[in-house]
Amino acid sequence: MTAPDPEPGTAPDTGPDTPPGTVAPERRVGPLTRTDFVRYAGAGGDFNPIHHDETFARSAGYPSVFGHGLLTAGVLAGYAASWLGRRNLRRFTVRYVGQVWPGDTLVLSGEVLRTGTAEDGGTEVEASLEVHTEAAGRERRLVLRGGATAAYPAPALALAEGERA
Amino acid sequence: MTDRRHLIGHAYTPYTFPVEHGKVREFARAVKDEDPVYHDVEAARAAGYRHLPAPPTFSAVTSHWATRNVDVLRLDLRRVLAGGAEWEYLGDIAAGDVLTVRSHIADVQEKTGSRGPMTLVITEHEFVNEREETVMRLRSTVIEMGEQ
Repeated sequence: MTAPDPEPGTAPDTGPDTPPGTVAPERRVGPLTRTDFVRYAGAGGDFNPIHHDETFARSAGYPSVFGHGLLTAGVLAGYAASWLGRRNLRRFTVRYVGQVWPGDTLVLSGEVLRTGTAEDGGTEVEASLEVHTEAAGRERRLVLRGGATAAYPAPALALAEGERA
Repeated sequence: MTDRRHLIGHAYTPYTFPVEHGKVREFARAVKDEDPVYHDVEAARAAGYRHLPAPPTFSAVTSHWATRNVDVLRLDLRRVLAGGAEWEYLGDIAAGDVLTVRSHIADVQEKTGSRGPMTLVITEHEFVNEREETVMRLRSTVIEMGEQ
């Protein structure tokens, strides 16, 4: 896919008619810095020193501090919301697979897995999401697997008009 | 390994927190979300919200408000990893709302993985607004690796 990255806040590129296999335009965020981790610690309130105190992180056996899982999840959630539609998002899941190190750039991707009918007659779209990291001198790594479900209301007005016609 | 399975069902003290305008902006900026609805009230209203909406993982900020008088889990932070999380969105959350969070330990699992023994602690959180509407549910997993 070579479609441009969607502008934040614009209408989603997906909808009830998006077929399974449709891929979201990749988005790159970063490179992330220690300051980004500290900013997230303050915003989110998670002050586990493993994310900002280099001495502590090394004493735990890590080469350096690393990013909060919820920071990566938060970045991915924004990507999912702009792709599927912020107001359509019904479910968002993440499973952390690897650490995000200072200097890593997050590479966000998504794919429509399935579409189906929701309880209210609308359409549900289920998508898989992934975050890889890229950095100079390091191999591209999968750091997070995620998923999202979006719901699109039934086109009641169009249907009513169709019935009248 | 400390066996913590007796903690299943443990309910934390419920707490309330106001969804603050500035906090929404701060959090959206921290997760690098440039959607204008998170910093521009006009954009938020144009998108149909009462005020700035909470970003999807905004639940994280509630840890500033949680009252954890007793640390029942007593996790060793050097060996703790975030396992994953699952959010369910049931209604809008916007700045000005006051949410009450009810949390309990839903499950504790002792497992042996490729990196040795580990404990999985699954916590469920329910977010209810001042109109008694349950607007979000969160299920999160924390992993404590065994001592090396």
